[in-house]
Amino acid sequence: MARIIGGIGTSHVPTIGVAYDKGKQHDPAWAPLFQGYEPVARWLAEKKPDVLVFFYNDHLTSFFFDLYPTFALGASAQFEIADEGAGKRQLPRIKGHPGLAAHLADSLVNEEFDIAVFQERALDHGVNSPLSLLWPHEPDWPGALVPIAINVLQYPLPTAMRCYKLGQAVRRALSSYPEDLKVAIVGTGGLSHQIHGERTGFNNTEWDMRFLDLIERDPLELARMKHADFVRLGGAESVEVIMWLAMRGALSERITKVHGNYYLATSTAMTVALYEEA
Amino acid sequence: MNPQLEGIDQIAGTYPFDVARSVERIRINRFFWQLAQPAHRELFVRDEPAAWKASGLSDEEIALVRNRDWLGLIRYGVNFFALEKFARVLRLSNLDVYAQMRGESLEEFLKTRRVPEAR
Repeated sequence: MARIIGGIGTSHVPTIGVAYDKGKQHDPAWAPLFQGYEPVARWLAEKKPDVLVFFYNDHLTSFFFDLYPTFALGASAQFEIADEGAGKRQLPRIKGHPGLAAHLADSLVNEEFDIAVFQERALDHGVNSPLSLLWPHEPDWPGALVPIAINVLQYPLPTAMRCYKLGQAVRRALSSYPEDLKVAIVGTGGLSHQIHGERTGFNNTEWDMRFLDLIERDPLELARMKHADFVRLGGAESVEVIMWLAMRGALSERITKVHGNYYLATSTAMTVALYEEA
Repeated sequence: MNPQLEGIDQIAGTYPFDVARSVERIRINRFFWQLAQPAHRELFVRDEPAAWKASGLSDEEIALVRNRDWLGLIRYGVNFFALEKFARVLRLSNLDVYAQMRGESLEEFLKTRRVPEAR
């Protein structure tokens, strides 16, 4: 079976990738962010997961509104790094895991979780921004990644509860995979931020702290919230934290947070959290 | 009405992007989306009016694009992540766009932030 060794919640702000590429790891304005990822990178280096199951959203890069899937699973053997308008980041292409992805599709759809399946679509900063801080990549990434895209751009979005249940269904699917694999689950996005309209620049650290407490201890309380609640409390684009609920749903009922970092510098509360099963 | 969005109209300065808006504004959203594709980006950089024409933008849409009216484009129904492609092609950072959306200069906006040096 595929065994879950832990979960990671992380922001996917594009600026993280830009700062990384510009070598700002020791710049005083950025060091608190990069240092916050080091314990997670060390954990991954030590635990050596074979696969990361990565709940992310495409930012209108590889999917457009002519067909914007609510949930979509990446099944190909590899994924290019996306060009989002300013050229591609200098990162190796990301390896997929077609065997596990096909099993996940079989299992999810047979549980009436009718997920779309995509191949060979480039992965944008929703994946590559945090990934470059989590995994070494010269000359290549140390493992494979199965991306699961969630629509957080065009309402109606899947409910927070549905995302949590997707995570639970992914957990069941992993437990029935015939091959032995070590898997870490990653949920991306957030925390508080709003980047459109006159309310741009909104943050709410008090809410962010409550979110971090609830995701660990009482995720169902978050899963019962409406999108409008997330928008009001954390800013419009922070509704994407429903992707953390997908990660949380894939973990055991009780978990232990082994590391966390929160850094609100300009517009988005950049956060990383590492969880192990209790 | 989407029950998940109940009460969202009471949150000022926020423009939820939904299927109805997406259908109404697909043309201008596609225009921005295509800027991430090299051929469209090259045309835009070489001859911006030709790029507007090729995308069939209306006069109102052209005015919003020409004026780099970020807030106006959001109110009109452009998705932020389509605008993000526009910013990349214009070599603007997201912080530049955020400041303009708030009606501030970048320096004014950064003064309101915890770590203004993180740019």
